[in-house]
Amino acid sequence: MSQLSQDHPNRSMLRRALFLMTACGIVAFIILAVQLFRLQILRHDELESAALDQQLRRTAVSAGRGTIFDRNGRILAMSATSWTVFLSPAEIAMYGEYPGLIADALSEILGTDRERLLALAGDRRSWYKTVARQVGEDEIATIRAFKNEHGIQGVKIEPGTRRWYPCSTLAAHVIGFVGTDNTGLAGVEYTRNEALTGKDGSILRLKNSVGTDMLFAGFEDYVDARNGYDVHLTIDSGIQFFLEKHLAQAVKDYHIQNGAAGILMDPRTGAVLAMASLDNFDLNHYQRVSDDVLEEIRRCGDSDKAAELLSAAQQAQWRNKAISDTYEPGSTFKILTLAMALEEGVVNTGSSFFCGGSMSVQGRGKPLRCWKHAGHGSQTLTQAVQHSCNVAFAAIGLRLGEETFYRYCEAFGFFRASEDPDASLTGKTGIALPGESGSIWWSRTVFCDPENLSQLAAASFGQTFNITPLQLITAVSACCNGGFLMKPYVVDRLTDGDGDVVEKAEPIPVRQVLSASTSAAVNAILEQVVCDTTQGTGKNAYVAGYRVAGKTGTSEKVAQDAAGGDKEYIVSFIGYAPADDPQVVCLVLMDTPANDTGIYISGGQMAAPVVGKILSDVLPYLGVMPRYTEKEQAYLDRAVPSLAGLELPAAEKLLREAGLSARVVGEGGSVTAQLPGEGTVVAAGTTVILYAGAEISPDTETVPDLSGMPYSRARDALGSLGLFLRSDSTILADSDTVKVAFQSIPPGTAAGHGTVVEVTLTNIDDAIYGKY
Amino acid sequence: MPDTLARGKRAEHRSAAPTREADLPFAFLTLLLLAVGVIMVLSASFASAYYDVQGETGHDPAYFFTRQAIFAVGGIGVMYGASRVPMAVYRRFSGALMIGALLSLAAVLLAGTVVNGARRWISLGFTTFQPSEITKIAIILYFSTLICKYRDRMRTFRYGIAPFAAILAAAAVLLVLEPHFSATIIVLMIGAAMLFLGGVRLYWFIGGAAALGVGGILAVSLVPYVADRVASFRDPFSDLTGDGWQIVQSLYAIGSGGLAGLGLGQSRQKYLYLPEEHNDFIFSVVCEELGFIGAVLILVLFALLILRGYDLAIHAADRYSFLVGSGITTMLALQVILNVAVCTGLVPCTGISLPFFSYGGTALMIQMAECGIILSLSREIPAAPERAGQKSMI
Repeated sequence: MSQLSQDHPNRSMLRRALFLMTACGIVAFIILAVQLFRLQILRHDELESAALDQQLRRTAVSAGRGTIFDRNGRILAMSATSWTVFLSPAEIAMYGEYPGLIADALSEILGTDRERLLALAGDRRSWYKTVARQVGEDEIATIRAFKNEHGIQGVKIEPGTRRWYPCSTLAAHVIGFVGTDNTGLAGVEYTRNEALTGKDGSILRLKNSVGTDMLFAGFEDYVDARNGYDVHLTIDSGIQFFLEKHLAQAVKDYHIQNGAAGILMDPRTGAVLAMASLDNFDLNHYQRVSDDVLEEIRRCGDSDKAAELLSAAQQAQWRNKAISDTYEPGSTFKILTLAMALEEGVVNTGSSFFCGGSMSVQGRGKPLRCWKHAGHGSQTLTQAVQHSCNVAFAAIGLRLGEETFYRYCEAFGFFRASEDPDASLTGKTGIALPGESGSIWWSRTVFCDPENLSQLAAASFGQTFNITPLQLITAVSACCNGGFLMKPYVVDRLTDGDGDVVEKAEPIPVRQVLSASTSAAVNAILEQVVCDTTQGTGKNAYVAGYRVAGKTGTSEKVAQDAAGGDKEYIVSFIGYAPADDPQVVCLVLMDTPANDTGIYISGGQMAAPVVGKILSDVLPYLGVMPRYTEKEQAYLDRAVPSLAGLELPAAEKLLREAGLSARVVGEGGSVTAQLPGEGTVVAAGTTVILYAGAEISPDTETVPDLSGMPYSRARDALGSLGLFLRSDSTILADSDTVKVAFQSIPPGTAAGHGTVVEVTLTNIDDAIYGKY
Repeated sequence: MPDTLARGKRAEHRSAAPTREADLPFAFLTLLLLAVGVIMVLSASFASAYYDVQGETGHDPAYFFTRQAIFAVGGIGVMYGASRVPMAVYRRFSGALMIGALLSLAAVLLAGTVVNGARRWISLGFTTFQPSEITKIAIILYFSTLICKYRDRMRTFRYGIAPFAAILAAAAVLLVLEPHFSATIIVLMIGAAMLFLGGVRLYWFIGGAAALGVGGILAVSLVPYVADRVASFRDPFSDLTGDGWQIVQSLYAIGSGGLAGLGLGQSRQKYLYLPEEHNDFIFSVVCEELGFIGAVLILVLFALLILRGYDLAIHAADRYSFLVGSGITTMLALQVILNVAVCTGLVPCTGISLPFFSYGGTALMIQMAECGIILSLSREIPAAPERAGQKSMI
């Protein structure tokens, strides 16, 4: 018994066991259950959302950026796939991959610095370290092969997009460009960025801590990406090409110092068909500047200064002069003064004006002088426009009166009226392009001061205020289209991925400024400026076969004048055709031609021929076919007929009928060879050499200097050498004032017999030299 | 009472003992927890096994499950075998086991395998085992033997404190040297529990608690490893990438479970967020997948097992069986409580595994053997009329 009791735990031990039993079997578990209740029930939402925060990964599905098309569906901007290569240092560490191996491979494939790669790979907590963007397909294929060969997880490849501009420089300022993040920075890329961008989608997925999908996890949530809309511009890349080609040639020919701008607009709708600003740049490499600037930057040495130079050069080339630069339009503005005066009835086609070279204006200290100091004498309204007579236009402005003139300028969109009569006025067209500058106009108080009409007088011929080229062409369009001021636009429509139209621009008539009859009268008078080869200051814009109307402009840059340097000018011309039914208006302006070209600096001499050339290309392109008058046909260049094998008399007869003459070399009776060859286009009246048995001489001749020669003299000078002449100009060589300005083969060059020299003609009439 | 009667009773007692069945409720609860545990190992481990983070699974999602299942089957055999061994045998060999445990603790310091900077495992060629696991059961078995031997002298320092303290100090020092703090804590707590059951005067525990408090403060302020753990325990969200990570991830998992859980196999936190998701933090996955209801159910199973363990110990045939049964049950309870307390952020992160659930072959085998010992003592409970009539506590 005692042994039994000895062998049993005593009462105290049992008590203690019961204590442990209660503590470990009941109390502790109650505490744990309470803690679980707190975590799982009370803090459930908080902890679950925190957990989801780390478990759910939102993968962006990037929306494709829309394409930019011209009006004919030609692609101007598109997005192409490019690749981003990045490292996942955390995975490199996790999978025990060798950073050295990866660095070796990537530095070889991508040319990235090996030390930099090692540094990137060393950041073991990071999942994303960009190595290179916009990597090409070939390199990606090599990297993929490397990854597969070594089973590398820590090197990642990610698709992205890169903007591609197939036409590189064409319409660069209108199209604009995007930054590395695919956000539009300039042009339509900027103004319609939102539409082009679309909306990124996303996939919400459960991920493990390494960032790959969880196995068997059922939760996924998609937000579809919506690709950006396609933007269809009103720009016609064909017309744009013509504009840029002729403008660039003119910049070269006339040694233009400060760039040039040109706009073509459909006057009936306000649609911008082409808009160019020179210097331009390659949209695919928009940060690149010209070699000259690079050279200057290289020379300057100082890095701060270099950065400044580079930035300034970039800003300059990105500037869209057609909408960002304001200028005094000068004589081109006379179109508007003319239109107002006709509409108001203060002048009519029977009005006459006298110009004695100057006139006095109330409030103006000095008398106002015409550009032709000797005066234009007595002139009709049409002649006043043809002569671009400042005195006559000042008189017309005074007849209109300051209030009326002011009202019309507002109606033409040059400024918006203000409540405050002392406020300087400004206005914009509101075109959907970035960087449009506002005009600079007198306040109402200053302009409409009856005691001082000097502003009115000068404004009548386009001075003392600043407007943008776009404002001018918009206003002139209103003068020629029947009187409606149209809001200019460059985006015709937006379409979605299915090609459905999402947004369509309708032509917006802001207001009718003129009556249709006034518009017709303006057209008739302006046609005379171009087609009158004796009195018209715009005759260099003449395009044989077409009825072109237009007006010249030569504006003195006031700021430069005040600085005391050489006078600098902006030469311009605004023209449109056909004059009886204008389908296209073209404005060209060139900032600061050099004095060293030998060509008189004026809109009539420099800008008018450019507009003529542009219109001569654009009009047939638009389907407006030329109709030549008999007179025009007599002066046109022509193709040489095929004469080989013909009897000499028959050949000579054929040439005569073609408006050419003949010179026979050799003793034979029939044509064995001819110079120039069949189909070659040469000047009218060219003497074709007929070889009757004789051989064509293999000698070369030295090309003479033709500049300043009338067309017929140049033709004969070349003909005597066995060389031939052709013109690339739109004007006709119907007078000896039409002279050679440039020749395609420089003087002194050796040329074989039969070589055709192409020349640019300018109607250089000393009698009408002037800043008109 | 005549001797014959007493002798007869004892004879009856002795002859009844070997034929008596092991306690079915305890065996059933053990097997139930084991089955749930093995299933949870599959659920918790397949993601990390698939990703093969440590490079051991060969991307086989069932890698850990297969091994755990094999050990579980083996464990059932071990439990049965241990239940057939009379308690007297455990008592006879307890001294040898204690010496062996201390020697193996010393050996692991010399020849152990280093994992994560700690020497805790001894390789036996075909498997590895942790001497700390052997040490725990050895202390229970040997301390019980000593307590039975010293009996009333347990209230003296010389017998009741000194020999035990010497053994515990030796074990603790060896464990700290590994280092293996969680095992140290468990061993010290088991030792304390055995002394408590053995009748040591209570003021020793008050003194010991005070000493532990001072030691704890010293450890926190002097040992950076301990200090970091405590700091991240106090504000786990302050350092999400460092030590706080484990606790925060565990809390995310438990909180995500809510009332009903995400469903078996549906844990998200096990996808490489939750560290040790099939070991120390397997209970967090249980909470996430089975919710508050499932987690509490499992806690109830554990509680029932523990209460049944104490009940069996209290009714054990003799003092030794009582001490061993109470000791093993207390150890089981401490591990469950501490593990769940760590998972739920109640105590600092230590690294104590959850019995029957956490992945680990030798630990599972030893736990099953321990349960087998309790079953063995349950076979020897005398079916005395007064006992048979007493209402079971379960």
